[in-house]
Amino acid sequence: MEHDEQELVAALLRSTPPPDVRGDFLARVNARIDAAARPRSGEPAAGWLPLVDFRVWTLRLATAAVALALVALFWRAAPSAAGAPAVESTAAAVTPASTFSPACSSDWQRDVSGDALLDAALSPKGAGDAR
Amino acid sequence: MDPDRELVAAAAAGSREAFDELVRRHQGAMLTLARVLTAGRGDADDLAQDVFVRAWRSLRTFRGDSAFRTWLHRVAINVVRTSQAKDGRWRRLFAAARESGEAPDDPADEAEGVDAVLARRQLIDRALAALPDELRLPVTLRDLQGLEYKDIAALLDVPIGTVESRIFRARQRLRPLLEPLWNTTNRNS
Repeated sequence: MEHDEQELVAALLRSTPPPDVRGDFLARVNARIDAAARPRSGEPAAGWLPLVDFRVWTLRLATAAVALALVALFWRAAPSAAGAPAVESTAAAVTPASTFSPACSSDWQRDVSGDALLDAALSPKGAGDAR
Repeated sequence: MDPDRELVAAAAAGSREAFDELVRRHQGAMLTLARVLTAGRGDADDLAQDVFVRAWRSLRTFRGDSAFRTWLHRVAINVVRTSQAKDGRWRRLFAAARESGEAPDDPADEAEGVDAVLARRQLIDRALAALPDELRLPVTLRDLQGLEYKDIAALLDVPIGTVESRIFRARQRLRPLLEPLWNTTNRNS
């Protein structure tokens, strides 16, 4: 009995009249597919979308930051490699070896050689002050 | 063998004509499924269209592991569930109104006395709408859509035994709800 009722309900459901499909159903499906494939009016063009995407900006800025860091690194390395000997030779040329006195404030304002500093440190107190 | 195989291959290669034929073949089934799953919510037609739009977009991912028709049902279930999740609150309000008898009349009500076919379909729709989702979906896939038990089990990701049990219980609940049709059928037979 139960089995018969099950079968009858199934048969009733199977006999459900088919739905009335609107005549323009296919046309509307195609219209939606086409609409999804192209940008809607009033929307920015696909080419502009990446410009308002913060992720794109972040990525680009990171690239620019790395580029700037590399430029700065080379900028610092190049002058120091080429200019260091010139500075050293200039300092050596203008600094008299034995004229530094720690007590003379003007002596701290100019470049002195390492030998002059060593002499000043080892000389007895007052020797430089006698100048 | 899948009767849609050649059309699917052509559509996947970009043929809109082949896809149009697939739409023609399955539009009725998708509309029925959407209408039952939405329990007469009124947007079944839009959802059925959405099924085909999604199918067109995803057609390249269809590997032919199942029949195209079964795959299309999976797309339809996902589309309807996504839609229900989006406006779940509205749907709950609608369900509450329906239970308290405050639901707005279906426009088809006016034609009930005129069109027997429409009345029959409406009665079945209402009976199915009275079922909980977990019973409505399997019995719809089986008795209205004609899918095999194993396909339904795969679609719902449950064992076949669970599918059989749910369909059995669904039919039990539908039996009194379909009483008017039952009597008509018995008189006719």
